[in-house]
Amino acid sequence: MLRCTVHPALPVKLRLPQRQTDESRRSFLRRSALALAGLAGGGSARVGWSSRGAILHIRNYVDVSSLDPLSTLSLGEGMINRAIHAGLLRFRPDGSWKPQLDAAAHFEQLDATRYGFRLKPGQMFNNGFGEMTADDVKFSFERMVDPAMQSLNAPDMGPLDHVAVHDRYSGTIVLRTPYAAFIPVAASGPAGVLLSRRAVMSVGGRFTTQPPCCSGPYAFKSWQAQRKTVLERNPAWTGEPAAFAEIHVYAMNDDKAGELAFEAGQLDCCQISVESVDPFERDMPPESTLRVLPSGRNYWLGMNQENPALADIRIRRAIQHAVDVEAVLEAAWFGLARVSTGPIPEGMTGHRRTASIAPRGNPELAKRLLEEAGAGLPLRLTLDVSARARELTTAQVIQWSLKKVGIEAEIRAQDQSTFLTIGREDLGDGWRDVQLFLQDFVGMSDPYYSMTWFTTSQHGLWNWERFSNAEFDRLHDIALATTDESERGRAYERMQILMEESGCYRFLTNGVMPQIFRNTIQPAFRPDGYAILRDFRPSTGVA
Amino acid sequence: MAKFVLRRALISLLILCLAVSLLFGMIHLVPGDPASVMLGPRATPELKAELAQRMGLDQPLAVQLGRFVAGAARGDLGIDPFSGRRVTEIVLEQLPHTLVLVLAAIGGASLLGIPLGCFAAIRRGSWLDRLTAVVSVAFIAIPSFVVALYLLLWLGVQWRWFPAIGAGEAGNIADQAHHLVLPAIALGLGWVGYIARLVRASMLEVMEESHIRTARAFGLPERTIIVHYALRIALLPTVTILGLGIGSMLTGALFAEIVFSRPGIGKLLYEAVLNRNYPIVMGAVLVTTGFFVLSTLASDVVNASLDPRLRVEQGR
Repeated sequence: MLRCTVHPALPVKLRLPQRQTDESRRSFLRRSALALAGLAGGGSARVGWSSRGAILHIRNYVDVSSLDPLSTLSLGEGMINRAIHAGLLRFRPDGSWKPQLDAAAHFEQLDATRYGFRLKPGQMFNNGFGEMTADDVKFSFERMVDPAMQSLNAPDMGPLDHVAVHDRYSGTIVLRTPYAAFIPVAASGPAGVLLSRRAVMSVGGRFTTQPPCCSGPYAFKSWQAQRKTVLERNPAWTGEPAAFAEIHVYAMNDDKAGELAFEAGQLDCCQISVESVDPFERDMPPESTLRVLPSGRNYWLGMNQENPALADIRIRRAIQHAVDVEAVLEAAWFGLARVSTGPIPEGMTGHRRTASIAPRGNPELAKRLLEEAGAGLPLRLTLDVSARARELTTAQVIQWSLKKVGIEAEIRAQDQSTFLTIGREDLGDGWRDVQLFLQDFVGMSDPYYSMTWFTTSQHGLWNWERFSNAEFDRLHDIALATTDESERGRAYERMQILMEESGCYRFLTNGVMPQIFRNTIQPAFRPDGYAILRDFRPSTGVA
Repeated sequence: MAKFVLRRALISLLILCLAVSLLFGMIHLVPGDPASVMLGPRATPELKAELAQRMGLDQPLAVQLGRFVAGAARGDLGIDPFSGRRVTEIVLEQLPHTLVLVLAAIGGASLLGIPLGCFAAIRRGSWLDRLTAVVSVAFIAIPSFVVALYLLLWLGVQWRWFPAIGAGEAGNIADQAHHLVLPAIALGLGWVGYIARLVRASMLEVMEESHIRTARAFGLPERTIIVHYALRIALLPTVTILGLGIGSMLTGALFAEIVFSRPGIGKLLYEAVLNRNYPIVMGAVLVTTGFFVLSTLASDVVNASLDPRLRVEQGR
């Protein structure tokens, strides 16, 4: 059984950030150059915020497209939803993936396909929609998998069949088949927030950017397209009071814009780009802290084993050993990210301590493998990549690594939307021409989400390597069905070994997510670097 | 005049239809998959098919175009397949931000550029004329995004005289105007130079014409000659350029919108193109093209009202 932990409220006031006008000419010029370079290279995006008085100002890397769990698209929207809605469970603000009770007073797994829950009595929806009941849980969960609702997030709920309501506060969640990711993904993630049946039905059964009710410590106040979402303390919330009177979440999809806004004092916390970490560390804005957090993404070099040029495993193994991952991380990640050992990042069940291939690779072994395979040198291959600055840098370093063993890689850069179709079978035979490619997937709160894309059933969808291994597929099913964490861990570790042994993958990194924030606040982040808004606090002793 | 306006309006409508049809064909030629971009690996084949159906991509191109045009005629630009919101609503939320920015930029540029050009023409050959020429070319030559970034770094970040990001609080006009200053300068600065050079050249040409010499011979005050006789004619090409300028600024505002994190149609369109969100792309392009066509139509009408010869020539 899971138990809820309580965080004491910190009744303090916040101070306006000091006005800074003493920036040196040198640092001003350096930032100018940095900003120009960033704009020229094309920005990406992430999260951020700031606090004045009792208001927290924060940056989000996306604008809100929808706050209805049926159609939220990003973790940025999920971050807001998890502040304004309670779930049965939620992640602890301690940087681990361990869930804790939220709206549930009791939650337990009854067997492989059933989860029992009992809500805390007296939890209220705002806007006069009354007390949260087990029927609201049934409504919130079942609408996510109702085909008529056409939810974009139905996959998060796994094989959910129905929720049986026993009385006003308790019920049983019933799955069709075992789904080990139910607790971390469905019950604790953004898809599992609890809505009032009466409230949602009063607006026609679905909504977009105006939630009709809230059940979390914060309530939705307003949304201005491409500007900001404002949350306010929820007067109906019966738990520990929200730490801030308001949270202003700014939609800023460009890292550089966020960084400048932070420097200008308009944000208190902001995810910054990897290339800005060093300049910020050398010239830190006053009263600020920078943290380089791990990211849940998985970056790797993939090889299509069904392409004739890569059909021989010795050639694929040669490429694995030829790539100098340390050099990639130095060039594309400024030495901040660590070498990954597989898709499952550190801190998650199934993470491997070491990979079998040295981070620096082994060019001599690579040359021998190419010779054994009888590959005519120079071996000419293509390397498909999304035309983003970091991916292009990574591709160039890999190109340089491969050249040292006699492989000439031609980099084919495409915009992200086009790139994401290159391995698709339903769009023609183009996938057959794919040879090497750089890919990255965002992970979620369970290893299932890091691994499921490499099964045989994903051929032509997301498994562009055409990797196929019966043992891998069997272990995938076992790991999804069992609730024994050590068994899951062993299965996922073995699966990553199989991936590496196939020669189809050269794991690169799980990335990093640097966050900068004012010392006037105490932020809270998930293990993948995303903010947990409801757990942000003013710093103690701030006058 | 009515016949002239009607004729120009019909041509504008034709341009609009042509632009929309061309774009419709183009966006369907470019590969890409909106579901994969928006949902990543979670985009199952069922979801992809579902989204394709929601966007009408499962229909023949002609049917899609027909539906779009019919919907647009009713003011319905379709539904954003991801959020479920009406595209008309999404586009109209963003449009005022871009229009205000563009009008502030072009208005400010005109207020500075016209007197500057006029003054340079009157003082032809003087050091002030030469200085104006240098400054104008400098304004034209500096890319607007560079101006935007340095204004932001200097006045926003270093001195904090103006907000670095955003568009101000909704309903607070003063705050919104405060937020508008830097982006409007960044967007309009280059146009100060253009307008000044254009007005100067036109003024010099007009000042040599016989009716100006006649006015001088009649002893009219120089100020009256310049303002009422010369400038009125000299402004004709400027008005045409301003019409085109408003149109190009609607899309050129993208840099300012990104650098200053402002909402706007440029940013909306840019993100929609990257995400292959076809309904938003079509809706936003239709609206911006419409405004471009309207602004050129308006400049034609203003020109015609300033110069009756144009009405006669183009009315034939």
